[in-house]
Amino acid sequence: MDQNDYRSVPVNPEEVTPKEVYLSRRKFLKGMGMVGLGALLASCAPAISTVNESPASTEDLREALTSYDAITNYVNYYEFTTNKEGVAELAQDFVTEPWSVELSGLVENPRRFSLDELRTNFEQEERIYRMRCVEGWSMVIPWLGFPLHKLLAAVKPTPQARYVAFETALVPEQMNAAESGMFPFPYREGLRLDEAEHDLTLLATGLYGEDLPPQNGAPIRLVVPWKYGFKSSKSLVRITLVENQPPTLWNTVAPQEYGFFANVNPGVDHPRWSQATERRIGESGRRATLFMNGYAEEVMPLYEGMDLTLNY
Amino acid sequence: MAKTTRQTQKWLLAAVHLGSLLPLVLFGLDAALGRLGFNPIETALHRSGRTAVAILLLSLTVTPIIKIFNLPMAIRLRKPLGLYAALYAGLHFAAFVVWDFGLNFGLIWLEFTQKPFLWVGLGALVILAVLAATSTRFWKKKLRSGWRRLHRTVYLAAGLALVHYLLAVKGDLLTLQGEYTRPLLAAGALLLLMVLRVPAVQQIFQRNRR
Repeated sequence: MDQNDYRSVPVNPEEVTPKEVYLSRRKFLKGMGMVGLGALLASCAPAISTVNESPASTEDLREALTSYDAITNYVNYYEFTTNKEGVAELAQDFVTEPWSVELSGLVENPRRFSLDELRTNFEQEERIYRMRCVEGWSMVIPWLGFPLHKLLAAVKPTPQARYVAFETALVPEQMNAAESGMFPFPYREGLRLDEAEHDLTLLATGLYGEDLPPQNGAPIRLVVPWKYGFKSSKSLVRITLVENQPPTLWNTVAPQEYGFFANVNPGVDHPRWSQATERRIGESGRRATLFMNGYAEEVMPLYEGMDLTLNY
Repeated sequence: MAKTTRQTQKWLLAAVHLGSLLPLVLFGLDAALGRLGFNPIETALHRSGRTAVAILLLSLTVTPIIKIFNLPMAIRLRKPLGLYAALYAGLHFAAFVVWDFGLNFGLIWLEFTQKPFLWVGLGALVILAVLAATSTRFWKKKLRSGWRRLHRTVYLAAGLALVHYLLAVKGDLLTLQGEYTRPLLAAGALLLLMVLRVPAVQQIFQRNRR
């Protein structure tokens, strides 16, 4: 893959999928439901393409964009509910203004950035990324945002800093399931500093050219396209530079299933979901999961000499 | 049997058939109206699985109800409930192999080699299939006393189905961090139903009745 393939151009409104197109995709999706039912009831196998080829370049990805409707209505945001299609409604009144993100820890210039500063001090660009959930489904999402390394450069990590810890907002009075006791919130995630500084690692403030809706992690979230979706924390309030590997929610809850690295890897299996193949939302059948979610060329230098089976 | 009892039995039987077919009808309706959500395969897997477990547990309530409330007429409900449970388990499996994996047996086998919870579910399905196949009067006569013993493995099937369910939840079973409410309620119900089959427990109820 060409180095420039993932570096997206600044948003050009004409390039964003027009509403009619994603509405027609929604219709297509409805159609799929019927096809599936037929298959189920008749127990006969229609010609389902089982493993589709994955597009490699950004141009192909543009063709393959998941509909706005699906991206914003099929999400995991457990602080609201574990029902993926119930999040949008429950999160609609989530207050995202005023908002600020605190950058602290092992940095020379610790400071708090207001949302306005994050939106105006850093040039926002569109990046079309694959998103692969550890549950075995995937999407292609046109994010709007800026690379995290630009923000890190502004606060200057000290030489001791080796990891970056991310904390998601915890507002129990606005998040229905935040205090259900099912999970130890606030949601925490972490990256190694070199992963955080990789140009693919994005702080997203929008998608499809619009501000992020609450259910997708408004007003600002992390996007790490070569890792399983749970690494991409939503609604960030704190980014801390630390010396040791920070605790993360899923790694704490079930360490045998969710490693710290969580790189998309069809060769390392999860005990419950297939990691060899995935269901692309909006498609029928399955497609092969790409090593590092298709970003191996860009990110493999980060893992030189590491056993990815042990460091899953 | 008195005429009114037979009448009641007929109504109960009709309710069992209607109630058991309702989830399938609702699924068909949702599919036709495009209301299966953005991941219709997952929806199909979850709904068929949950329905199978619910009807299977219902089928296990019949015998305790007969004994505790002295309602022998309820016996006619047991077989259809068991058959419907087997039907939904079969649909659950069909959704997995046909719809999800398009009958790609290489991929399906890969799944089975990597995921123990699939074997547990398959075990439950095999038992339910055998019990459904031998649910006829012919097999009952042919197997004599063995038939009862064979059909008691329905408890094993229910146990396996619930282990399959518990293992399919995202989270951690040991610390119960995750969405365990439903599968744990089902497991609690199964445990209660099994306790009610213990002869000593049944005697308590029978003594109270006298």
